[in-house]
Amino acid sequence: MPPDHRIDDYVDPYTPEHRNGGPLRVGLGGPVGSGKTALAAALCRTLGAEYDLAVVTNDIYTTEDADFLRRNAVLPDDRIEAVQTGCCPHTAIRDDITANLDAVELLESRHPGLELVFVESGGDNLTASFSYGLVDVQVFVVDVAGGDKVPRKGGPGVTASDLLVVNKTDLAPLVGADLGVMRRDSDAVRGDRPTLLISLREDPAATEVAEWVREQVRARALQTAP
Amino acid sequence: MTAALLTLADSRLPAGGHTHSGGVEQAIAAGVLADPGSLAVFLRRRLATSGAVAAGLAAAACRAVDDADPVAALGALDAEADARTPSPALRAASRQQGRGLVRVGSRAWPHPAWAALPAQPHHPLALGVAAATGGLTPRDAAHAAAYLSISGPATAAQRLLAMDPITVAAVTARLAPEVDEVADASAEDLPAATDPLLDLLAELHAARNDRFFAS
Amino acid sequence: MEVVARCDARGRTTLPIVRASGQLAVRRTGAASVHLVATAFGPLGGDDVEIRLVVEAGARLSVHSVAAAVVLPARGESPPSWQLVRAEVAGVLQLAPEPTVVTARADHRAELHAQLADGGELTATEQVLLGRVGEEPGRWTGTTRVERDGRPLVHTTVGLGPGAPAWLPPVAPRAYVSTVSTGGGQREVATGVDAVRLPLPGGWVGTAWGDELHDAVTRLASVSPRPVDELAEVTR
Repeated sequence: MPPDHRIDDYVDPYTPEHRNGGPLRVGLGGPVGSGKTALAAALCRTLGAEYDLAVVTNDIYTTEDADFLRRNAVLPDDRIEAVQTGCCPHTAIRDDITANLDAVELLESRHPGLELVFVESGGDNLTASFSYGLVDVQVFVVDVAGGDKVPRKGGPGVTASDLLVVNKTDLAPLVGADLGVMRRDSDAVRGDRPTLLISLREDPAATEVAEWVREQVRARALQTAP
Repeated sequence: MTAALLTLADSRLPAGGHTHSGGVEQAIAAGVLADPGSLAVFLRRRLATSGAVAAGLAAAACRAVDDADPVAALGALDAEADARTPSPALRAASRQQGRGLVRVGSRAWPHPAWAALPAQPHHPLALGVAAATGGLTPRDAAHAAAYLSISGPATAAQRLLAMDPITVAAVTARLAPEVDEVADASAEDLPAATDPLLDLLAELHAARNDRFFAS
Repeated sequence: MEVVARCDARGRTTLPIVRASGQLAVRRTGAASVHLVATAFGPLGGDDVEIRLVVEAGARLSVHSVAAAVVLPARGESPPSWQLVRAEVAGVLQLAPEPTVVTARADHRAELHAQLADGGELTATEQVLLGRVGEEPGRWTGTTRVERDGRPLVHTTVGLGPGAPAWLPPVAPRAYVSTVSTGGGQREVATGVDAVRLPLPGGWVGTAWGDELHDAVTRLASVSPRPVDELAEVTR
């Protein structure tokens, strides 16, 4: 074996900051029905005029999410890529990210000025999270209808995501969820990491989440500045 | 260099294999694959055709790394792979997996040979270069290719049909002598064995928009 | 066996060389067409035939046969029979022999190696039936390699019959037909029941199978881009 293949010689030069610029990659994960696709569509509508952006969808089946985005995000077809996950949505975003990297790189080559890519995972469970080989930051979306115990249950998505979004706050009275409990439990398990309680029905622009994304784009620009 | 070979053949190697069913998803839809018996038959025909072709190409690509002009040698093999893969869906699946393997292989085993590969090479070519740069022999490359021609599809069948994973593992394990036979028979040659059924299934699959797998 | 087709000064095809020996005779049946005629039963196990076809620039050649070839096993342990067609094509070559019937215990290997020069066009159709009526199927292995300017366009080997590694129930057809054509670009794929057409650079390859030869022929026609009447002539 050549000497540079020894483990002692190994230095990984491929951290996200060293990707030679390129767009900020934002993962959008969370359980089925929590509103990932609706949030992606809202962010595309709100940020589409500010940034050169694109979306990768990881539907477990069909290209339904991609089709939804085409209809609702005012995003041209050539800015949406759907990947097949081989029945394993969490594998495709965490363990073997090849198909997603291919999709991101395809979008990058198609749109050389790309500044922002959302990678939307297929609906999965509370243990699913993105590999940082695929995304720079990740948002985990849960909803109030799942019960106010969700943040307390934790899981990597809830505890370690860069932003936790609790969606559908408008439903809290209907499902008997206590937003105060959700806020408190989230803060308890997440330390300094932010949590936003939102309702896409009441705020279709996802204003606060969009602002958080802007901060991340700015932070990455500083990080990768020559 | 057994451990490097195990690394190459490991289904957890993040090279994108888990999103390809090797025709299994469409075989299930077409009603030709439904249980362990028909899975074994399907894997056998895949091994004997695309498995043999991949094994031959992988071994040749492994040797091409030491060629005086590896760019030309690998380019010629890429054309041979195309000629053996007239199905556009199967070509795309092969090149997609080739690209994935280049991504991980070139970081694990940096070597000028990676740059000698055509952009988005056929998977067996990437496998051959990975074997060479990982210190393996052409015969090892053939074995990895032959094994991978059935291991991924077997897992896909398990997922899609909710088959007993132990049954599927047993089916795969019992094909080992045939995998070895195909690899040994193909390592010094460039077989062109084809299965028109797999071509048809691949094209029908590619035309669907309700699929879990990329191929 | 050897046939050379040449384009004369007035642009017409002539056949300066038409010769054969052994189990195959060859007859001129038109200005630019020949028919192969078997001089004995068979091919028989152990037979080995090489056919060289040269179609020079501007010339055309059609190669047919007068009857189906019925491949028979030799006595005892029958070795395979071989037929190798080597074609050098700068003009237009059409290969459309009658079906090959491979009887029980027989093992036939058919190879086509075609080298196309720039502007050379090839259409080759193959029809195979395993076993006569009520008989066990025989083995058939067909290899097609077509190169243009030294670069391979297609190279495939199909194995049919008991013991062929990919001839396994529930898809183990008795009848198989295929056409490879480089006479024009067909970028689209076409699929049908037990039939598929795939694009080649500047051409296509179609394959179909079934229990009976006429089923397979009809299925191939359903995915072939050629006009139906022309196809009927090719696969008559």
